Amino acid sequence: MEDAQVVARLVRRCVAGDVVAWEEIVQRYNRRIYNICYRFAGSGENAQDLTQEVFIKMFRTLSSYDVERGAFMTWVTTITRNLLVDHFRKSKQDRVTESLDTTPSEHEDAMPLSEKIEDKAPAADMSVQSRETGELVHTALQKLSPELREAVILRDLQDMDYKDIAKVLKVPEGTVKSRINRGRAELARLLQRTYRQVM
Amino acid sequence: MAGEPKNGLQCAEFDALLNEALDATLTGPKLESFKAHARVCAVCGPLFAEADAGRRWLKSLAEVEPPVTLMHNILVATTGYESQRVAVRAKGEASWADPITGWLRPVFAPVLSMSRQPRFAMSFGMAFFSLSISLSLAGVKVSDVRHVDLRPSAIKRTYYETTGRVVKYYENIRFVYEIESRVREFKKVTAPAVPTPKEQNKEKKDNNTSGQPEPRQERNYSQGENQPVLASLPNDPPVGTVTTYRRLS
Ligand SMILES: [Zn+2]
Repeated sequence: MEDAQVVARLVRRCVAGDVVAWEEIVQRYNRRIYNICYRFAGSGENAQDLTQEVFIKMFRTLSSYDVERGAFMTWVTTITRNLLVDHFRKSKQDRVTESLDTTPSEHEDAMPLSEKIEDKAPAADMSVQSRETGELVHTALQKLSPELREAVILRDLQDMDYKDIAKVLKVPEGTVKSRINRGRAELARLLQRTYRQVM
Repeated sequence: MAGEPKNGLQCAEFDALLNEALDATLTGPKLESFKAHARVCAVCGPLFAEADAGRRWLKSLAEVEPPVTLMHNILVATTGYESQRVAVRAKGEASWADPITGWLRPVFAPVLSMSRQPRFAMSFGMAFFSLSISLSLAGVKVSDVRHVDLRPSAIKRTYYETTGRVVKYYENIRFVYEIESRVREFKKVTAPAVPTPKEQNKEKKDNNTSGQPEPRQERNYSQGENQPVLASLPNDPPVGTVTTYRRLS
């Protein structure tokens, strides 16, 4: 997707004030950033706001991007990840405040995955079934700790290599690998438990 | 877990090779040791199975489609500039008139080719001349016709404007006839000289104050557009020609 020279030229044009080049960058990366945000934050609405924030941040700091220091994709993903961390911290604070007012059963998170799956169990056809399976996996993904969640999203959904993930997360490659495996295994356990309860 | 080696591989080593195994980059004797360890180790075996299943679940997730407004919103939020695509779409809407020009071309093609023949040229010339005079009296400039906006909303607006102009045109005609009759009377009384614009203006002014003018009609038209048409009647060549024609006939 990323031709380093093409992207470097685009960035230079953007910094020089070329709006068409900026549109090209938005065109190239909006889908990817939206998907990372959606899988991490869980909702389309949050993903849309976060993606917009990522681009605003990118637009403001584009001149600080150094081609020599790494791929543009890694830079973009780092901005996205940092904003996701901020978002997670903020929403965690909100949840803490909220939980003082509401009983746990009222919480969306308090609903067991098995209850969610029970509503959707009888699937009419394969496409509905696969869509519902997708929803289940997506819901289970939200149950992972943010460290494991971001690791599996970058590896299994965004196909990034370990070295780049390590750069984005600012942890050693070994830690990245370990988090990916723990994340995958944890997700499988969550889904297996869900299916066992349903059957 | 990390302690006892099974099939020449410790659990920690197995863990380190897990990614490579799942990425299918592990080969040869290392892969064989890995598989053997997974078969016998009560911890590593299930871990491998779970990680493999988790990876498959994740890989089954399809990429989601961002909302169609996302890119536009980003561009507006960052540059305040609207996407080129939006501009292109708007351009596409503007070409709505193209099919109409397409239909009109074959309809008018024979007329146009006929008009090129000398014997018809004169009649067409006369017809076009009187048509353009009628239009200009109605306040429509022939040179502006190609700029007419053909979007539905604009057509509606143009319809009402034109209707207003036509009403005004007929009222102007009545007014012109009155001027003509006054001029004829004036000519009878005075010398056979052709009335000067000044005189006609005076006539018109008299007329305007004396009788007919309906205030409603003036309010329908913008002051700047209406008044000069009436005031410049003798100075305006086409209108002047019309009065001369009528006077001659
Ligand atoms: Zn083991």
